[in-house]
Amino acid sequence: MFKSSSFIQESTDQIRKAIKGKALIAFSGGVDSTVCAALVHKAIGKRLIAVHVDTGYMRKNESEHVKKLMEDMGLNYRFIDAGEEYYALLKKVIDPERKRKIIGEKFIKIFETVAEDEQIKYLVQGTIAPDWIESGGELRDVIKSHHNVGGLPKKMNLELVEPLRDLYKDEVRELARELKVSVSEKQPFPGPGLAIRILGEATKRRAEIVREACAIVEEEIEKAAAEKKMMLPWQYFAVLLPVKSVGVHGDKRAYGNVIAIRAVESLDAMSCSFSTIPNDIIDIISNRITNTLGNDINRIVYDVTNKPPGTIEWE
Amino acid sequence: MVSIYVIDNGGQWTHREWRMLKYLDVNTKILPNTTSWKILNDNGVDGLVLSGGAPRIGLENKLGNCEEYLTKAEIPILGICAGHQFMSRFFGGDVKPSKIPEFGRVTLSVIDQKNPLFIDVPKESIVWESHNDEITELPNCMIHLAKSENCQYQAIMHKKEPFYGLQFHPEVNNTEYGEQIFRNFINICKNK
Repeated sequence: MFKSSSFIQESTDQIRKAIKGKALIAFSGGVDSTVCAALVHKAIGKRLIAVHVDTGYMRKNESEHVKKLMEDMGLNYRFIDAGEEYYALLKKVIDPERKRKIIGEKFIKIFETVAEDEQIKYLVQGTIAPDWIESGGELRDVIKSHHNVGGLPKKMNLELVEPLRDLYKDEVRELARELKVSVSEKQPFPGPGLAIRILGEATKRRAEIVREACAIVEEEIEKAAAEKKMMLPWQYFAVLLPVKSVGVHGDKRAYGNVIAIRAVESLDAMSCSFSTIPNDIIDIISNRITNTLGNDINRIVYDVTNKPPGTIEWE
Repeated sequence: MVSIYVIDNGGQWTHREWRMLKYLDVNTKILPNTTSWKILNDNGVDGLVLSGGAPRIGLENKLGNCEEYLTKAEIPILGICAGHQFMSRFFGGDVKPSKIPEFGRVTLSVIDQKNPLFIDVPKESIVWESHNDEITELPNCMIHLAKSENCQYQAIMHKKEPFYGLQFHPEVNNTEYGEQIFRNFINICKNK
């Protein structure tokens, strides 16, 4: 079994030995980076600087919540609003691997700038096992370049510290509970954010659409789970597809985009089965999305793919 | 504490195999498949898992140093997916692209329920797969232990040596009796 208390003890000792001076942690506010920050903060206190980057691809109100989270945790933090820069970098980019690499490189550029300003030599990341496994290397195929591994430039001026490398999400959650981290049960959210929930070009407008759709999926599923109508899935979100289909709105022809609803059951993200959500909940979600986003979305589909053959996210 | 090492053939679930053994209180580590048999033997290893592999590697004649392990080892060896395919080829069988590859959920049908690898595993259970290729010809020195609708050789065993092969992935969370199969393999290693 996984022993959180001994892991925490060994890890904080190793971190204290490894980091001299200040360290910067890439802080998305997700489970992995938050647990990582809690661990490293335990080891080196105010010498840890948490940097949150609003990429323009965060969920509804997410960055505000992350700012508050960093404050509540007593972290020494910096908040960087880089949305417009990310949109510009991803203009006309369609290939999912290119998107991930561009996003990863931009993160590092931002971190290197902060590190230079503040004389920091170490970059801490909440990288976990699936991230480096799926990013491939040597014998292993690249399934997808996770931004924090495959997206890293070949030459980096910062020394990388990744205390959670051998862990899977379920083990990180156990650490979170042991460390009393508030986001322990939060669903996984990819580093590249909504950019990889938009198939094709991830424009600002398309980000707004999928942001709203994701918010609706999350709200309705969480509401239904709270009312005991269903179990909360492991991960649940919306994906904006690059296809258009015909519809009818108030006696008028409509030709709009498609949103796919994705919900899965998993333990460690290395395999999953699609969730069986009650049809009346799917109905509510479908209705809300096509009413709220009527000008853009007129069709909803439900993803019934396990991993393998699919992955949890679409890109 | 028994020592069973995981030989990394480049698969997605190699690290999961390590985790599975660790959780079952086995002294384990992941080593590249180029590791020499001498190093493994000097470490006093009690068993080996030949992990799943990088794409299409089961169709090739070489899988790192796996040939050396299968030649020199007297300890139990469990080949998974690419490891299982290589084992069959090594002993004279054949591996070809699957007519119907299997990804994700498959129902396994155990042929020999008395086999030590399948103790406490029901006749039919859900296993998780991810293969483009499969064994098409089993060598004479090996026995057929389990099958599925679309893939004949899901589990095999050598008649004389303690070598086992599984096409499916017992290390994946979605495989219903994966942990039990690992427990059985650990016992096979303990009892040798």
